[in-house]
Amino acid sequence: MKRETDYGHPIKTFYHPKDIEGLDYDRDLGDPGSYPYTRGYYPDGYRKRVWTQRMTAGLGSSKQTNEVLKQYREMGQRGGMLVICDRTNAMPIDPDHPIGRREVGVLGWPGASLFEFEQLMDDIPLTGQSITLLGSCAMSSIRLAYIVALAEKRGIDLKEVHGSVTEYPFCTTFGQTDAQPLDLDLKLWLDSSEYIVRNKIHMRSGILSQHFQESGGNNAQALAVEMAMLKELCGLLVHERGLDFDDVALLPYELVSVGSRFFEEIAKIRALRRMWAKMARETFKAKREKSCQLLISVHTSGRTMTYQQPLNNIARCAIQTLAGAIGGCTAIDNACLDNAHAEPSPLAARMSLNTQHIVADETGVTDVADPLAGSYFVEYLTNTVEEEAYRIWDKIEEAGGMIAAVEKGLVQKMLKESAQEKHREVESGERLVVGVNDLVIPPEEDFQIPIQELKTSDSEAIARRMEEWKKTRDMPLVNQKMTQLFVDAKKEDRYNLMPSIIEAVKAYATAAEIIGVIRKARGLSYDPLQAIDCPFDLK
Amino acid sequence: MGKRKGIKVLVSVIGLDGHNTGAEIVSRMLMDAGMEVVYLGIYQTPEMIVQAAIQEDVDVIGISSHASNYAQIVDLLELLKKHQLNDIQVICGGTIPNQHARELKEKGVSEIFLPQSTSTSIVNYIESTVKRPNL
Repeated sequence: MKRETDYGHPIKTFYHPKDIEGLDYDRDLGDPGSYPYTRGYYPDGYRKRVWTQRMTAGLGSSKQTNEVLKQYREMGQRGGMLVICDRTNAMPIDPDHPIGRREVGVLGWPGASLFEFEQLMDDIPLTGQSITLLGSCAMSSIRLAYIVALAEKRGIDLKEVHGSVTEYPFCTTFGQTDAQPLDLDLKLWLDSSEYIVRNKIHMRSGILSQHFQESGGNNAQALAVEMAMLKELCGLLVHERGLDFDDVALLPYELVSVGSRFFEEIAKIRALRRMWAKMARETFKAKREKSCQLLISVHTSGRTMTYQQPLNNIARCAIQTLAGAIGGCTAIDNACLDNAHAEPSPLAARMSLNTQHIVADETGVTDVADPLAGSYFVEYLTNTVEEEAYRIWDKIEEAGGMIAAVEKGLVQKMLKESAQEKHREVESGERLVVGVNDLVIPPEEDFQIPIQELKTSDSEAIARRMEEWKKTRDMPLVNQKMTQLFVDAKKEDRYNLMPSIIEAVKAYATAAEIIGVIRKARGLSYDPLQAIDCPFDLK
Repeated sequence: MGKRKGIKVLVSVIGLDGHNTGAEIVSRMLMDAGMEVVYLGIYQTPEMIVQAAIQEDVDVIGISSHASNYAQIVDLLELLKKHQLNDIQVICGGTIPNQHARELKEKGVSEIFLPQSTSTSIVNYIESTVKRPNL
């Protein structure tokens, strides 16, 4: 068995003070609540507020997803809701698109219009809990517009809403569905981010290493990529959009993927807090302490959830949740025991939420902040993953930063090699995975878990409903808003499209229509899959 | 056709699935085993896959599926039949629940490789089942 960290650093049999020689408590750790925040942002840890305990929802129609959200509440979801959009919406193409109708509602919520968002949020408050919508970068500005429009309709002060509905422009590089080119995704992300910051809306934007790591990246690479993305994207908001870093710093949140290598996962989260704090203060000259505190959420790793003997995943999820909690985070959402099979069944969702409550309420982990600080091993691992991450980050910077490194294929190559290596390690037996290459049982003896899924006929029903609903809209109004959007989208990239997107969303233009018109204005095909034509008469 | 030495495999992701890691790992392992691989990438429709299979004259089509686009795999099988391409076998890999795996096999998928299948099992399967007169 391999005795190395997941990024290939050798691990000794034990650690002692010499391994962390030179570690200066005040400079490198600080008490919880003090710079550089290695030990967390709060002196009282989780005592005042336990992490948000949530589960990913999204399958079938908006009404079905709404019902699931209400069930999660009863199952112990606390502090916030999290919905992931389906693949049609991530592209985005509409549910009634010839290719869309084969997959709509599969693996997520079909958030194609404000109409769908209204149904999703039926009887669910916009305030008092964090509202998180995940999916793709292309949808960022449209999802933000949904929030703006629904708050207005409900007569709620937009500043009372918090959560995150926008997402970073590199998700396609890391296996996420999104058919838009990088320059368009980047523009849409900058527009939505600038709108949030200028209007002082309490919405975060996901700049996530989770997708990278779930695609096979290792812990050190994940930190490096995360820092490179944060540096470049925050830098663009400061330098290109003219925003103050202390305002920009309240925008990003990071979703860390936490796997089963318990101590390394904890070290990674601690190192990330320290790396951001240093960059905020030294590179961006942050004036406020709050700017040095990167909001960090945890997603326990779906990649580690095995297809074989799925009940074993309950144990994995518990170990990972404990690691996330000890590492310190604002929110956790778990991968479920059925992650390698389908979307979470009610049983699997309940198990995952219960796991969070068991960790929070039965282990004592919420009593003490950063309980592993001072462990020779954990401090060594924190230093080591940080050093390795700085080394990789330097390479990305040498290539010209994250955007240039992606355009040159450097980040993709790094990811591919790491994924191949992880596969090789399991295949050769250097890393053991119970039920996969160790203690294997014949498939016919495996426990059959309930499978939650959508039928092709369900997708077709959602598509047909959209076709009918589209006809009921005030089409002259939609046309007028789309024409305005088209005119605005032809202006320079710095021209912020959020106001015209919000107007289009309020008129019930669909996601694919909005992105399609923006694409057309930029000389791209209206439909990314080139299967349908633009239905608007744009002058 | 007679000039080619090795087995030729088309590897693709189907529909709107963006997960490309599995497909890339399998492509690499097939190339390492000496096979010729045509990697189509993501957002491929059944029509695009069949078109490429004809143009490239492949022996095998490998579809990497990460949940829930099985209907399009069935579409692909039907389209192959329509074009009378019965000699091209379709194999699938990924997170495919048991019930769907059974149904896909009934409909004509020749083999399904579950997550963490070994290189040997995939390579051996292809080598032992592909029958080309010129091999």
